[in-house]
Parts: sequence; structure tokens; C-alpha cells
Amino acid sequence: MTVLLLIAAGGFGGLTGALLGIGGGVVLVPLLVLGFGVPLEEAVPASLMCVVASSCAAAASYVDNRLSDIRLGLTLELATVIGAIIGGLAAAYLAPAMVAVVFGLFTLYVALQILVVGSRGREPVATGYVPTNYPLGISGSLVAGGLSALLGVGGGPLKVPLMSYGMRVPFKVASATSNLMIGITGAASVASYAWRGHVKLQLVSPLVVGVLAGAYLGSQLMPRVPTAVLKRLFAIVLLLVAVQMFWKGGEGLWPSVWK
Amino acid sequence: MDKANAVAVEAEAPGAAPAQRPARIGRSVAGERWVARVLRGGALISGAMFLGSLALEALPQSQSVHVAIDALRKSAASLLLVTPVARLVLSGAMLGLRGEWRYTLAAAGVLALLALAVSAGLHA
Repeated sequence: MTVLLLIAAGGFGGLTGALLGIGGGVVLVPLLVLGFGVPLEEAVPASLMCVVASSCAAAASYVDNRLSDIRLGLTLELATVIGAIIGGLAAAYLAPAMVAVVFGLFTLYVALQILVVGSRGREPVATGYVPTNYPLGISGSLVAGGLSALLGVGGGPLKVPLMSYGMRVPFKVASATSNLMIGITGAASVASYAWRGHVKLQLVSPLVVGVLAGAYLGSQLMPRVPTAVLKRLFAIVLLLVAVQMFWKGGEGLWPSVWK
Repeated sequence: MDKANAVAVEAEAPGAAPAQRPARIGRSVAGERWVARVLRGGALISGAMFLGSLALEALPQSQSVHVAIDALRKSAASLLLVTPVARLVLSGAMLGLRGEWRYTLAAAGVLALLALAVSAGLHA
């Protein structure tokens, strides 16, 4: 029974991740911790493995359909990895709780922006767009990589709005390109956990089976779903990220209040 | 339709001679198909192996079944982790063959930095 529920949870994570370009970790970690009572130190590497699975399954369709921008992905990937290494090195000198609160405020702002004014803006057409503002995209990816290393949030929730609103890339292309990029950084993060024996394959197996099915379904649905609907879903997921960040920040800043 | 998107614009390296364009576009499309095949193949095979390990759990438990489950899961996880790396190598090589060396350098840079981060125990 638990195996079937884990497959279903993975399916939901994979579907959300593939539709929105966020990998699914944002959904899966709270689901595993709160719904299945999995300790956080086991849930995080398992969800990272799911991010890799979701990325592979969804990106295969997106690359085939030419929805992923491979060149843009490679450029931003390099900046993200550099940012992640800087974030990993800076982790000892920064208060993650404070960073979490700042990131929470940022995601809350972006979510409200999408929900309140986002649908009124003109979406660039998916044919014949040219990404603009590379300096912003590269510096934003550096920050996304740093936050990913500091807070374990993955880069998707930051990179999709960055590409879509900062670089004028169509939302669906941004989501598909983010799906392509998160696989490689997720794999590197899982490798770090696996090196220390923190990946529990008994938990990962049903999750990955579900994620692969969900991500395949999501990748088939995404081109058909209206962009406005995807944006609203993305905003809801960003609100979830903001809540997680405020929780994390609150625990770090006021541990006595949280206990 | 979205299928026809961006790559129509990005298919060409700036400065490519007009006569070379159709051949280059063809090579680019073929390269992207290979990237998609690698991703799909890795996902499908590792998914089948994970599913196989779950099916084996339903069998009467013995030492050999445990060994088989463990082997299947480790192989599936390794294959899944190698797949995005293979995609990155293939993307870099594909763009390098088209003369877009800066993307090949970007792919090589990502691989080198990730290898550095993993070996140093950092979370990238």
C-alpha cells in the first residue's frame, strides 16, 4: 500500500515538475516529510533523485519537440554551477535562515506579481523569439545556483521567472529549458549525497517509477495547456516555496518560538 | 504550435555561409534527436530497472532475491545519474561539430566544475 502511495506521490511530483520546470522537489520534500513521516535527511536526497528522473523524462520530449533552448540552457547552466560552488563555499559564513527569509520574500513577490499583474503582460511568441538581457540572466543564474546550494531549493523556481520575465523567453520555453538544466545539477547533488551513503534506494525506487510516469504525462500535456494556466500554477508553487522558506527561516531565527 | 519554436531562430550560428545552412540545420536536428534519445533511453531503462526491483520485492524473500534487488537498484540509480551527464557531453559535442565552440566550452566548464564540486563534497 505504501509503495502505491509513494508511486502516486512521485507521479504528482513528476507531473508538476514537468509542467512547470521545477523538477518536483519543492512538492515532494514536504509531501514525504509531512505525509509519509520520512526524515528530512532522507527526503532531500530522494527528492533530488526524483528531480533528475523528472528532468530526463520531460526534457526528452521537450528537446524532441524543440521546446528546450539547448544553447540558453548551457549558458545559464555554467553560471548556475559557478554560483552553486560559491554558495557551497559561502555557506559557512552566511546565516541560511536569513537567506531563506530573503528568498521567501522574493518568491512571494514574484508569485503575487504573476497572480496580480502577470496575466496582463504580453507573452512573447514561441516562434522566433530571441533571449535578451544575458547579463541579467547570467547574474540571476549565479544567484540561483548559490541559493540552491545554501537552501536546497533547486534553481527552477528562480530560473523560470528569470528567463521568462528577465530575458523575454516564452514561459513554456523557459519551463522546458529549466527542465533540461536541473537534471545535471540535481545529479551532481545526488552524487554528493550518495558519496556519503545518504541515498535510500528503497524509498527512491517507487518514487522514481511514479515520477517518470508523471513527468512523461506532464511533458505531453504542457504544450497543450494555456500559458496563463501554467503561470497561475507556477505562482501557487512559488507560494508553497515561500511558505517553506519562511518556515526554514523562522526555525533558524527563532528556534524557541518554533519548538 | 510550440514545436516550431525558438530553434528555428537558434538553429544558425551567426556568420554561417548561406550554402552551408541547410546541412547545418539538418545536423542540428539530428543532434537534438540524439540528445532526446539519450535522455529517453536513460529514463526508460532506469525506470524499468526500478520497476523490476519493486516486482522482485513481491517474490518470496531469499538471499539471492535481496542481492538481485540491490544490484538492480544500484544500476538503475547509477544509470539515471549518468544520463544528464551524457546529455551534456552530447550537447557540447553536437554544438562543437557545428562550430559553436563557446557552447562546447560551456559544457566542458560545467562538467569540470561539477566534477570538482562532487570530489570536494560540495552540493552543486
